[in-house]
Amino acid sequence: MAEEQESTLLLPPSAAPEAEVPAEVSPETATPEPPSSAAVSPGTEEPVGDTKKKIDILLKAVGDTPIMKTKKWAVERTRTIQGLIDFIKKFLKLVASEQLFIYVNQSFAPSPDQEVGTLYECFGSDGKLVLHYCKSQAWG
Amino acid sequence: MEEDEFFGEKTFQHYCAEFIKHSQKIGDGWEWRASKDCSDGYMCKTHFQVKNGTAMSHQGTSAHVQTFLPMEEAVDPPLDDFEVTETTTAAEVIKYEYHVLYSCSYQVPVLYFRASFLDGRPLALKDIWEGVHECYKMRLLQGPWDTITQQEHPILGQPFFVLHPCKTSEFMIPVLKNSQKINRNVNYITSWLSMVGPAVGLNLPLSYATAASQEEGNVSGQDSSIERKSLEEH
Repeated sequence: MAEEQESTLLLPPSAAPEAEVPAEVSPETATPEPPSSAAVSPGTEEPVGDTKKKIDILLKAVGDTPIMKTKKWAVERTRTIQGLIDFIKKFLKLVASEQLFIYVNQSFAPSPDQEVGTLYECFGSDGKLVLHYCKSQAWG
Repeated sequence: MEEDEFFGEKTFQHYCAEFIKHSQKIGDGWEWRASKDCSDGYMCKTHFQVKNGTAMSHQGTSAHVQTFLPMEEAVDPPLDDFEVTETTTAAEVIKYEYHVLYSCSYQVPVLYFRASFLDGRPLALKDIWEGVHECYKMRLLQGPWDTITQQEHPILGQPFFVLHPCKTSEFMIPVLKNSQKINRNVNYITSWLSMVGPAVGLNLPLSYATAASQEEGNVSGQDSSIERKSLEEH
């Protein structure tokens, strides 16, 4: 399938075979400001030869949630769901009080401390992990 | 059968039954309790946690023990047998109880919970707040009295904390609409609990998600379809 421009969530993929473009290249929108949390850091050092440190994630919006212009991301396996949620919220410029949920299998929300690497092992296919995300107000 | 975000008591019980089936498979500790006249009931689970945040229960509530593999330990281990993963001389053990009930007025499930020390002292609301996951703190702290309230348990008649259900149907709709395109057998309870549980310290093992997906076009999925059909006939 036509690949959308792939962006790096953490560090530039050095050995990841599908990264034909330099990792720092920005998507067609403005470069996302990485949250200052450890979730995202612009690429600096990257251990060469660590081919499987990152996994590919495809993000899909649910309902009225804004669609991210860049949907495909290479994410470190140890990144947690919470880290990913924070990143998407910043990317979509949601206010901190808005709730964002991420789902596997379109219906199950992994707990915030779950690592994406584990999710990839359990639910990934075709070399990527598809995650749906939805903005909502769960309480009140 | 009523579809989508609202459903009746029978459908609620069906989803709970399916949920508990999987819970039993993996030893996650959920049980069904019927009310005295058996007309309704609820789903419940108890787990223990050391107050400094290290989960010592065996229900996979701590992230670092939560795996995809089925849990083997039994529920509610005797206290003598628990392994404290850290040396915490002043650690206190807290008992959490989670109850899933059906709300007739909102026509959605509702999560009731309470926490107490082992000597029976209940945890204050303030302590509950501290246990809320970072992810949710901002939203909950904006209006804590809107979101977590204390109410009488409809069946037990004891005070419990409750995650207010008024928005439940609202946030479940897009998820259900989206997922039911692929899989008609999405378990509402599983989906809903995976979303609201973490806010109050309840994390579902990942295998619940797989249990749901195995019903997609699978032979085993026919069982639940048959069950649903018989429910529809009521």
